Amino acid sequence: MPPPPGFRQLTESIGFAAANGPWFERIEKHRVIRAFKPGPQHANALGIVHGGMLAAFLDSAMGTAVWHALERRAVTLRLSLDYIGPGRVGDWLMAEGQVVGHDEHVAQVRGRLYGPRHDVLAGLGVFSLLSRRRTIKTRS
Amino acid sequence: MSSAPLVQDRPPEGFHRIDFDRGRPDPTFNTHIGTLYAKRGEKGTRDEFVMGFRVQPSMCNPAGGLHGGMMMTVADLVGAMGGGTLAGIRKFLPTVNMTFDFVAPAQVGDWVEGRPELVRATRSLLFTNIYLTVGETKILRASSICKIPSGDGLDYGKARLVREEAKAS
Repeated sequence: MPPPPGFRQLTESIGFAAANGPWFERIEKHRVIRAFKPGPQHANALGIVHGGMLAAFLDSAMGTAVWHALERRAVTLRLSLDYIGPGRVGDWLMAEGQVVGHDEHVAQVRGRLYGPRHDVLAGLGVFSLLSRRRTIKTRS
Repeated sequence: MSSAPLVQDRPPEGFHRIDFDRGRPDPTFNTHIGTLYAKRGEKGTRDEFVMGFRVQPSMCNPAGGLHGGMMMTVADLVGAMGGGTLAGIRKFLPTVNMTFDFVAPAQVGDWVEGRPELVRATRSLLFTNIYLTVGETKILRASSICKIPSGDGLDYGKARLVREEAKAS
């Protein structure tokens, strides 16, 4: 299943993201778009994509938007999500975030997750900006 | 995928594995993310419905802590399944809104519990607060609004607690 044009697979994922991917990303000048094609393992009992999976995917896109806009690593403090429509298994789902405000410590981010036909999830998040000097320890 | 060794789940007394799929050919997301357990305590107590799981490496972020996506998934389930249970609703309840505050991290090996508090059930909406905790420490505060479908609604999803396994292990 080749991703839509211009998307590259995020290969550095481990843990939860790796177990629930693959996820793809396209970087444009002022935006980062993430893409993901859900399979049956991402569905709930109704056969549509699980709300928790959608939440995780949009959260990642919103966090990436912070890095792209501010060059600061960030962790999610608060996320509010409105479930607008179903995410369909087999559709390419896209997610992106937009930094709408920030100071030295926090950033406010709007997020949008959508399929080929309609919006699926709308998000508003507050992200805590990590110190510029601090690097996140990652396990290899 | 992480190659880190699995941690034994060792659910505390009273917890039973939740079988979400009941023989379905493809495991759904609730099964895919790891084994989830539930405990049913006395009605009206804070343990009337408790969901629990052991943090596995596959549930973590690159920094080695429990992934926010896993916390949100479980909180969503506690809101719909647990909140629905407290309200006496045996239907699949689609989530309309969730708000999460990530107040503390959790590590591999931690036993995480989630409890719903029923705020209000109207004819069409269910309002629930949810805390995820590790021991006495709150790690996630969430609030959820679910839609209560009219009529019989959709199939509940067939999830059940597997009580026979506890005796076997």
